[in-house]
Amino acid sequence: MTNPNATLTAAPRDSHPTRTPKSQKRVLRQGGEGLALLLLVVVFSVINPDSFPTVVNLQTVLDQASTPLIIGVGATLVILLGCIDLSVEGLMSACGLAFVLLSANSRTTADLGLWAIAVGMLLGAFLGLANGLVHTLLKIPSFIVTLGMGFVGFGIATLLFGDEQLPFLAEGGITDWPTEKFLGLTHSFWLAAVVVAVGVVVSRFTRLGRFTYAIGDNEQIARDNGVAVARYKVAVFTIGGACSGLAGVLTTMQLGSAPARVGIGMLFLTIAAVVIGGTSLGGGRGGILRTTVGVLMLTVINNGLIHSGVSPNVQTAVSGGVLVAAIVMASWPHRSRLRIMK
Amino acid sequence: MSTSKSFRKRLAAGVAALAALGLATACSSTSGSGANAGPIAKEDIVLVASVINTTNPYFASNIEGAQALGKKLDLPVEIVDSEGSSQKEISKIQAILAQGKKVVLFVNTVASSDVPPIINACKQAGAYCTIWWNKPDDYEPWDQGDNFVAFQKHGGVDSGRCTAQTLAESIGKGGIIALAGVQDSTTSQTRVAGLEDELKNYPDVDLLEVRPANWDPQLAFQETQNMIAKYGDQIKGIWAADDGMIIGAKEAVDKAGLTGIKFSSDGLYPPVIDIMKQPDNPIVGETFHRGYMASAIGLYTAYLAATGEIDPSELPHEKRNSLFKISCVTPENLDEYTKYDDDIDGWIDSLIENGPWDTEPVPLVGGGPEVLP
Repeated sequence: MTNPNATLTAAPRDSHPTRTPKSQKRVLRQGGEGLALLLLVVVFSVINPDSFPTVVNLQTVLDQASTPLIIGVGATLVILLGCIDLSVEGLMSACGLAFVLLSANSRTTADLGLWAIAVGMLLGAFLGLANGLVHTLLKIPSFIVTLGMGFVGFGIATLLFGDEQLPFLAEGGITDWPTEKFLGLTHSFWLAAVVVAVGVVVSRFTRLGRFTYAIGDNEQIARDNGVAVARYKVAVFTIGGACSGLAGVLTTMQLGSAPARVGIGMLFLTIAAVVIGGTSLGGGRGGILRTTVGVLMLTVINNGLIHSGVSPNVQTAVSGGVLVAAIVMASWPHRSRLRIMK
Repeated sequence: MSTSKSFRKRLAAGVAALAALGLATACSSTSGSGANAGPIAKEDIVLVASVINTTNPYFASNIEGAQALGKKLDLPVEIVDSEGSSQKEISKIQAILAQGKKVVLFVNTVASSDVPPIINACKQAGAYCTIWWNKPDDYEPWDQGDNFVAFQKHGGVDSGRCTAQTLAESIGKGGIIALAGVQDSTTSQTRVAGLEDELKNYPDVDLLEVRPANWDPQLAFQETQNMIAKYGDQIKGIWAADDGMIIGAKEAVDKAGLTGIKFSSDGLYPPVIDIMKQPDNPIVGETFHRGYMASAIGLYTAYLAATGEIDPSELPHEKRNSLFKISCVTPENLDEYTKYDDDIDGWIDSLIENGPWDTEPVPLVGGGPEVLP
């Protein structure tokens, strides 16, 4: 993985023209997370040779990774800015319910067809935009703005849910789309893959992406160099909101119904994945592909422990332990760097 | 200089006096408005139902029952939405009690440990309270006085047995996976214990794994996906500790394209009734109990205590720590139970006519605490 920061810094830190032993070391350094993921897969395959390394299980893991991957793209961009988006779950719930109620469903007569997906995403983008505007215009820390906006999202979801029964999507049609397969993998995974690919292209090859890194690395310097910091921050928060919206739509589509709090548990999972992937919470370092590895690591740990027959009573503790071990392994090559840890 | 010093002294003395006065009032108010101030006039009573959240179908049904009873008794009803948090639940209940109304309270507690602070608040305010589903094991109403009127629930073991039996008989032999609720929930633990014990009678049926899905359809969906990847076609049946989860599990099975898998679960939620009425219905066993019945029974018991029609201290223990009947439902006898949902007001009439312990289909069947097999 190259450092997109390189385009902005005068002397790129990691640009050795020839493949010296040092650059091989660099591959190891940056691939620590990938190696940890590989090790997890190998260990679980050895423990459960019959059930873990199967095609069905690969499909299951990738399908389950799809929602956190989509959220992860938005969350990574926001964290690269040096901000954080805690509104993910609330936005997912609001957008999921809006989508279901505007599709053919058991409760309302509205049926916007595919436009319902667009409305779900737009609602997410709108709430994300609100996150960005409040954060930049009123200069309020992003964690508190997005925490509040998350509750706004839950509030919208509760209002839409009302006192009535759980709304179900009409049978057939759109509900089957996420689990239908293309090239052996589910549509939800391919959707996530497309979102990740777009995210990578945006973060590496566009001005928005490069400025995101620059702002996260040092907002003052970016500002002094004429970067319209506020505008880019608002744009990134809007993208984050749209990703949460899409994730809410996808989850309800998979489930075929819209519980009022559909996103519960997703926030911790994605932020953990971003951090495990190696993106710095301080901003400016990391990337979407790293988050992808983080998401896969967490999904594999959860799935692998189930296959290994670990009792649910100890699974939480074991998965935490495995997680710490994986992070240690991933960050082992970085240990000698001069860094201040807080 | 000296003036300002003496001013400060006087100020300090004034503050101290005020504080002492405040403390004295606070003490007198706690001891003064005692619990046993005699029966409350009917017109002054407010019915309060506290639920864990307002969007879960069961809790929504709790609210429906409270409102139906309020309409029948011609009393105002207030709803406390705990938003899933013990802190919010306790502080909202305390706020309502502090308004000085004569409160008759039903609480579907977020956690067992919430019961002592809620009961203490009720004692201080002279409110009458019934707790449903969760309380600490050794915290009994008869030890707490008349304001903790009763603890009530439906037996979890019976629920687990009933749904285990219908599922096992339906599949004959093969593997079952079970989805439990939140792991420290007594309700879930007792239902799983009933399932496991009942399955001992069916040696050909193998309980492959019990997975907690936290009462959450989405988590149940994912756990079922994982189980399908792990056990494949060994799975012949899926059991869940409540209908929210069976809805998620069924969706995962349908999306995986598996056929012939049978389901059983607890609660008979409306979407499940719809599925059970279809010709190719895979849900073979359910249990019947209702949120509106629980809240109405709970509130009515506390109401009788508040108005002096019953004296909690004279009730036998089984009427203060009570287990109410839970019925087994199959597609064949479904109509016998769904008829109640069509006429909630009619059921409330029979509750008032027969009293909280003798109303079909949920009469009192015994005293708690529930014994695990």
